[in-house]
Amino acid sequence: MRRLQPAFDGLQVAFVSVQSAYAEEVAGHRFYVVRDVTRWDRIGLAILVVQLTLILLRERPHVVVTTGSAPGMIALALAKCLLRSKTMWIDSIANCEQLSLSGMRAKRFCDVWLTQWPHLQRTGGPDWWGAVL
Amino acid sequence: MIFVTVGSMMAFDRLIVSMDKWALVHPGSDVLAQIGAGTYRPIHMRWTRMLPPSTFQEAVRKSAIIVAHAGMGSYFVAAEMGKPVVMLPRLAANREHTTDHQLHTIKWLRDRPGVYAAMSDAELDFAIDRAMTGGGIAGADFTNFAPEPFLRRVRDFLVN
Repeated sequence: MRRLQPAFDGLQVAFVSVQSAYAEEVAGHRFYVVRDVTRWDRIGLAILVVQLTLILLRERPHVVVTTGSAPGMIALALAKCLLRSKTMWIDSIANCEQLSLSGMRAKRFCDVWLTQWPHLQRTGGPDWWGAVL
Repeated sequence: MIFVTVGSMMAFDRLIVSMDKWALVHPGSDVLAQIGAGTYRPIHMRWTRMLPPSTFQEAVRKSAIIVAHAGMGSYFVAAEMGKPVVMLPRLAANREHTTDHQLHTIKWLRDRPGVYAAMSDAELDFAIDRAMTGGGIAGADFTNFAPEPFLRRVRDFLVN
């Protein structure tokens, strides 16, 4: 996401991360921390959904952009279902042989659904617009 | 200095244990490790759980080489500062990550200048030696942001 920063220039942006230390990287913007979960952690998942819902209701974003993983996918789904926000999934460049599991699940909540690898794009998505590298 | 990082909070004790052993047999060397949520506490190297980004970057700047998991964040930081980076992929079988995508990542990253792959902990020693002599990516060859055409398309989506 840091490598996409110029695309956000001049826009009102709120950041959500699982890592509180990253606040200093986006000084001057609103910043929220949520619980990090994997699909192994059911209780964490419930807490995360509550946290994200509260943030979304407060921020009411027009657009939600995420590079994953599970917390990003859940945020995207909630934003689409609760607020009808425009949503964009950018699958991590790390996933060069197949789209991530959260990426696959994000499909139905996305307006733009991207892989960063041209050989992974398909008709009907995911699309390829380029990569952060 | 050698800076060792497991990236995020997710534990990667196999890397930390291996590097602690490395530090034991290289007593003159200064090694600092960010161990995240790992349960193994190093004895022969300095360690910390998690550094804030500014301190993290400072540690990278002071290092001769970085030894990391095969995560993109670690690659970007090393490349932006022109440091050689040794990478050991996390394996799903060891529950070091949810999937084996770091194995996939290292397969293409390993051909990039400044990247030294260790496919197993047994290869770490050799990869560190190669990184020490082989050097990093040249600073001018690496930009801090995504390529302009990609940025423009993302921007168009955001504002329209």
